[in-house]
Amino acid sequence: MARILFDNVTKYYASVKAVDNLNLEIKDKEFLVLLGPSGCGKTTTLNMIAGLEELSKGDIYFDQQIVNFMPPHIRDVAMVFQSYALYPHKNVFENIGFGLKMRKYDTAEIDRRVRDAAERLHIEHLLDRLPSQLSGGQRQRVALGRAMVRQPSVFLMDEPLSNLDAALRISMRAEIKQLHHSMQTTFVYVTHDQAEALTLADRIVVMKDGVVQQIGSPDEIYERPENLFVGSFLGNPPINLLVGELVSDNAGVIFQKGRFKMEFQEEISTKLQPHIGKSVTLGIRPEDVNEQGAAVPGLSVSGTVNTVLPMGSEQYVSMTIEGTEAFFRLGKEHKHKGGDNISLDINRNRLHVFDQETERSLLWG
Amino acid sequence: MTLQSTKFSVPSEKWKYKSKRSERTRSAVIFIASIFLLIYVLAPVGWLLSSSFQSEAEIVSVPPHWLPHEPTMENFNAIFFQEFEEVTYETRRKVDPAAGGYIPSTAKDLLPSMWNSFIISVAVVILNLVVGVPAAYAMAKIRFWGRQASVYTILTTRVIPDIALVVPFFLVIKNLGLLDHVMSLIITYLAITVPFTVFILVSYFESLPDELDKAARVDGCSRLQTLIQVFLPLARPSLVAVMLFAFLTSWNEFLLALMFTQTIASQTLPIIVASFTSDFTISFSFINAAGVVAIIPPVILALFFERYIVSGLTAGAVKG
Ligand SMILES: Nc1ncnc2c1ncn2[C@@H]1O[C@H](COP(=O)(O)OP(=O)(O)O)[C@@H](O)[C@H]1O
Ligand SMILES: [Mg+2]
Repeated sequence: MARILFDNVTKYYASVKAVDNLNLEIKDKEFLVLLGPSGCGKTTTLNMIAGLEELSKGDIYFDQQIVNFMPPHIRDVAMVFQSYALYPHKNVFENIGFGLKMRKYDTAEIDRRVRDAAERLHIEHLLDRLPSQLSGGQRQRVALGRAMVRQPSVFLMDEPLSNLDAALRISMRAEIKQLHHSMQTTFVYVTHDQAEALTLADRIVVMKDGVVQQIGSPDEIYERPENLFVGSFLGNPPINLLVGELVSDNAGVIFQKGRFKMEFQEEISTKLQPHIGKSVTLGIRPEDVNEQGAAVPGLSVSGTVNTVLPMGSEQYVSMTIEGTEAFFRLGKEHKHKGGDNISLDINRNRLHVFDQETERSLLWG
Repeated sequence: MTLQSTKFSVPSEKWKYKSKRSERTRSAVIFIASIFLLIYVLAPVGWLLSSSFQSEAEIVSVPPHWLPHEPTMENFNAIFFQEFEEVTYETRRKVDPAAGGYIPSTAKDLLPSMWNSFIISVAVVILNLVVGVPAAYAMAKIRFWGRQASVYTILTTRVIPDIALVVPFFLVIKNLGLLDHVMSLIITYLAITVPFTVFILVSYFESLPDELDKAARVDGCSRLQTLIQVFLPLARPSLVAVMLFAFLTSWNEFLLALMFTQTIASQTLPIIVASFTSDFTISFSFINAAGVVAIIPPVILALFFERYIVSGLTAGAVKG
């Protein structure tokens, strides 16, 4: 049992529609990440898999079985909660072993599995402590251990790293990926952190206001966003967006905003042919530029540097394009300061064009 | 002019050191105030205890004897061994009341009534837990239609004064055929105490995170197991508080007991103690001895659960 299928699932809390007509297949042993801003229904979706929330409409299948009203203690799922939710009155050993105890494993087996998990998480020396005597990172490990020992066929995680400090968060990402590899079970992981999603996921589901925006591999989501929301939600700093118009030119279809013009490659130009005259949003990711000598209208952006933001290994420069502030990433070898005039060559393979009205991508989806 | 300039040029050391004297004064004031408060609270209890060992003659002496000059066990013997001369209408003038020896005719009922009170109080405590704990858990952690309404309704019932409920209660008890039966009091005391129990426990359970409840259920607990394995151990201070409240309410209740009980088959301690004042004579020392006996069980309970009481009453209010 490890394939999960949402079939037209809708969830209301009183009049609030938390999840709207969700259709999703979670494949056996895959690492699926639910990504979206706070309040978009990620936790609700996870709770429905665990059986902690009832659905208002639709069906959930585990393999071939409909499990709409199967209570959580019968489902073979384990969950790591955002607040960890450790039992305050039980020590670490009892916390980790509780799920096994409730499932009537014998004490020797519980002991073996708890010690095994504790060792893998490097918390063997903490087994006698109470949760209140642990640091945030240690609590997080106990919460992981509690889910691990059960060897469930579905492993659910609700923003498990959001309460940790930045350095620990990065190292835990690697450990979670490792855990998925060694456990060989289905992982469903909730986060609002796009970097976490891109690092961990086999597939990402981007949600907004209870509605799925796009499902795909991290590369697909990042490189071929199907709408403006997905495009702007991923990427740090976010994608630069310019609102303008598609016009016809002797070079084919071009984007125009005031005096700023951007030509497209032939393939893209053909795709955009039917949309001439439309009001569109052009998306340029900050990293899709290269510095070059001369400004070539239609192929590059040029202007005055407003600010330079050094980031250690790289730097971001900001400039104003027709009234819109845009950020671009440059290598450290370019020495710039505010007030410099520069021109940047745009990687035109990687431009994004969204319909201004429907916000859907005109290039993919 | 010179004086003033020195004042400003030499920095004052007034605030450099902590003043020993003001420190001591403050401690003394707090100490004395505490003593007064203690005397105010404990003096009646002390007098109750002291006078229960005094004879009727000594008890009315002026000034009163805070320590009995001639301690007597007469009153306690009467309670525990029924060693007394019954006063009847005929014998009521035989002895000068001030000489003592007048023990009310209902003295023999004191211990049986105490037993009734005990049975009733324990039953009320147990039933409070049986009813109140699952109710509070459901209202705190399970979303169902009318949840808010039921919490408010339960609280609202406590706004109605007991006296207004006496007649309806009486009719119910009468129709159930439970007049002069301990069950009549168990049932009505439940109606009085369960709302408070539910209120205290709901506010405590609500203060525990929802994710704790969810974690337990994912870990393999049914709702009932979640309650027993996770919520009850955490709620221990609150449980002690509600148990004490239910016990003391039942132990002290007077009005309803007066309405529903007629004989020693169901009469409770407060009723019997009150009856001592309506006999042919009144023995203050005996009544005080009865008072001493009556407060022993609550005092034992309070001492036993002392460390939970304060934390339990504030547990719901203060998160942590
Ligand atoms: N128990 C609840 N009662 C009422 N509304 C809720 C409840 N839980 C969540 N919601 C609402 O449902 C929507 C989705 O919530 P949630 O799934 O927690 O979002 P996320 O985990 O993505 O932040 C939000 O608008 C939230 O306010
Ligand atoms: Mg959430």
